[in-house]
Amino acid sequence: MLRGLLDRLGAPFEKGGPLHRLWPLWDAQDTFLYTPGKTTAGPSHGRDRLDMKRLMFTVVIALAGTVAMAFYNTGLQANLAISHGATPLPGWRTAVIAALGIGFSPDSVLAAVIHGGLWYLPVLIVTFAVGGAWEMLFAIIRRHEVSEGFLVTGMLFPLILPPTVPLWQVALGISFGVVVGKEIFGGSGFNILNPALTARAFLFFAYPSDLTGDRIWIAADTAPDAVSGATWLARFSLTGNEAFAETFHPAGGAGITAWDAFIGFLPGSMGETSVLACLFGAVILAATGIGSLRIMLAVAAGTLLMGGALNLIGSDTNPFFAVPFWWHYLMGGWAFGTVFMATEPVTAPSTDGGRVVYGFLIGVLVVLIRVVNPAYPEGMMLSILLMNVFAPLIDHFALQSNVRRRAAASALAVEGRG
Amino acid sequence: MASETRRVLMDPLIHNNPIALQVLGICSALAVTTGMQTSVVMSAAVVAVIALSNLSVSLLRNMIPTNIRIIVQLTIIASLVIVTDQILKAYVYEISKQLSVFVGLIITNCIIMGRAEAFAMQNPPLKSLIDGIGNGMGYAAILLVVGAAREVFGAGTFWGIPVLPLASEGGWFTPNGLMSLSPGAFFVIGFLIWILRTFRPEQNEAE
Amino acid sequence: MTTARYILAFAGAVCLVCAVMVSGSAVALRDLQAANAERERQRNVLFAAGLADPGEELSEADMAERFAAVRAVVVDLATGEELPDVDPASVDPLVEAGITDSSRAVPENFARIRRVERRSVVYLVEAGGRLDAVVLPVRGQGLWSVLYGYLALDADLDTVRGLTFYEHKETPGLGGEVDNPNWKALWPGRRVFGTAGEPIIEVARAAAGPVAEDPHRVDGLAGATMTSRGVTNLLRFWLAENGFGPFLERLRSEAAG
Repeated sequence: MLRGLLDRLGAPFEKGGPLHRLWPLWDAQDTFLYTPGKTTAGPSHGRDRLDMKRLMFTVVIALAGTVAMAFYNTGLQANLAISHGATPLPGWRTAVIAALGIGFSPDSVLAAVIHGGLWYLPVLIVTFAVGGAWEMLFAIIRRHEVSEGFLVTGMLFPLILPPTVPLWQVALGISFGVVVGKEIFGGSGFNILNPALTARAFLFFAYPSDLTGDRIWIAADTAPDAVSGATWLARFSLTGNEAFAETFHPAGGAGITAWDAFIGFLPGSMGETSVLACLFGAVILAATGIGSLRIMLAVAAGTLLMGGALNLIGSDTNPFFAVPFWWHYLMGGWAFGTVFMATEPVTAPSTDGGRVVYGFLIGVLVVLIRVVNPAYPEGMMLSILLMNVFAPLIDHFALQSNVRRRAAASALAVEGRG
Repeated sequence: MASETRRVLMDPLIHNNPIALQVLGICSALAVTTGMQTSVVMSAAVVAVIALSNLSVSLLRNMIPTNIRIIVQLTIIASLVIVTDQILKAYVYEISKQLSVFVGLIITNCIIMGRAEAFAMQNPPLKSLIDGIGNGMGYAAILLVVGAAREVFGAGTFWGIPVLPLASEGGWFTPNGLMSLSPGAFFVIGFLIWILRTFRPEQNEAE
Repeated sequence: MTTARYILAFAGAVCLVCAVMVSGSAVALRDLQAANAERERQRNVLFAAGLADPGEELSEADMAERFAAVRAVVVDLATGEELPDVDPASVDPLVEAGITDSSRAVPENFARIRRVERRSVVYLVEAGGRLDAVVLPVRGQGLWSVLYGYLALDADLDTVRGLTFYEHKETPGLGGEVDNPNWKALWPGRRVFGTAGEPIIEVARAAAGPVAEDPHRVDGLAGATMTSRGVTNLLRFWLAENGFGPFLERLRSEAAG
């Protein structure tokens, strides 16, 4: 019945109909509800029987753990801070919680999920509304169908933002990510940069005071004079991607155990804190073959080698040199970036050899940026974006070396025969 | 002649803009366009240098020995740039401090050498002068647009006068830090080229 | 026509004309440029000493009037003694710091200053024949490059009168806020020296208390750890023995004696 209704409603959008220019709009909602009746006629861009839509939905499922963290942990951190003397940030969220009568207890899962949701959901909604609008606009102008690619970008972007990011910045950031990170290059599949990271990088450089520092990672007013539990704050306020050295230094630090960092009940970007949740995603992506396990392992290897090397070199002036290399896996956005960003198929190399080189260099760079560069506390975003730019070049060399090897092999074969 | 003069003067503004189409002189366009004042002074300096260098090269064009013509052009341009720099230091000291080395670097601006070699060596003085002014204006047009965009969005001011009330002072506008950094100029120039080529598809490079 | 002789003659002529043009403009404009640089320096000193507001447009006459209370003095940094015979206008400490003969190497320090000029120019603000404030030129490494500024101390040589940076390349919006008037306004009244006479002034990691409760600390610049640390380091360097320590010591003993 619904099918029949849709077909009748859809008639004006078909070729020749009066609303033909708006076809992508129609098509988007139609395929969202039903598997399309048409099959690809020309050469398709899929490499196997997975179509783009199934692929993207699998990624969304792989993100489930980090989304759950965005709901629960965002609220938990805020409520923990409040229970230690911070004040709830003024605004409609606090009013909603007051109206519901839930309160800010850190022990109640429901209270945490609702408080977290009040921070996470608006960011998610704004991302999809604004980013989706750009997708639609370009689809209509360029007369192609809306790509499901944005679904993943739209899921990833809120997860790598701090909870307190202003919503207008979310709108501006995703606009930049979609337009400059993707549409300028011709849309999904042609982009050289990961759109979600492009959006994040734009905000990072444009509004640094809202995207860096030690006050933005907890959705509560943690001004020192408002917090009585000073030791509690000292323990957590440093983890927000900044000043790892002081937090994670093996001698002393703020007392965060590796287990804390692995489970991820720490302040940070909304979906990035839990290595466990990312591991869950990694298993799904690797099992379905959507995310390249090769890349993930190569990033880990690069980080191990560079982190280990810095441990050996040591430094008198930079205590961060001494942070054990495996801490890099647990800190900041490493796990999230490795699993969900570095493996993005469009912006990563597509040759096996290229993927190893690409992942390895990301792993090396992230350690270098974190440890050696004084200005940027988190290196994952910058190193992935940088390697995105080099991905085509890496592929080129990987192909060239293949060609040479085969040429040499066939030359040998010819000789042998002669 | 009138229409020919007009063409020489106006062509580089949009149709054959040295920055947007030929992508020359980008370095200084990135460095000095954080505000309107620096953009205007830099533009004026470039227009003056390019006009005078075209004029003097054109006057000498029949006397310059071909085998040393590049070095002669360079000497003339370099001298003009140094004089310009001295004048700026004397009369607009604060802005010349902000421009720092970039006035000196006009010497290496490809637009100026390019016009001297490609146009002034073959054309009479008056026409060369007009060509120089035209190309200088083409450069200036981009600088002014980029400078205006970067100052308004990067600092909320225009010509140093607040136009968007800053959030830090009770208004609603939060300055966009990216605009104050050099890459911001890349993005603005990129968008300009995008707009220009959308409306003038003939400027697209052949695939 | 293009004989070697012609080429040489032509090249010579072009060089001659250009040389005349360049040196002519340089000579003709030298006085104006020097006056500009001097005015700029005086303005910055007045800002630091709280004798002018940063946004204020100062006319020539205003400037001369306010600067009349200020006396530039050349100081030997190692001994702290004045060099009354040297004309302050003839000394550019920043240039001298870069020349081996007129500077000395200093031990490794957090301000990342390698060589310090042997003599510097300080500004004494006088009111009613008594010392009212001292303005010291300071510099040191921030995040991206060197910050240049002036620190003004009250006559007790401990309380900050003002701090201003006139040249830096810090990130706009973060470290670049060192020249934000709101942040500069936090400085007056802070005290730079601890009880043992060592400089302990500090730009805090986060917010500092009001002057009365937290006299030795100033709010950190949000999101600019390295710039904040840089300001701390450069102030401590210039207030200690390799900077203006001996000079301040001499002023103090003169005031006591």
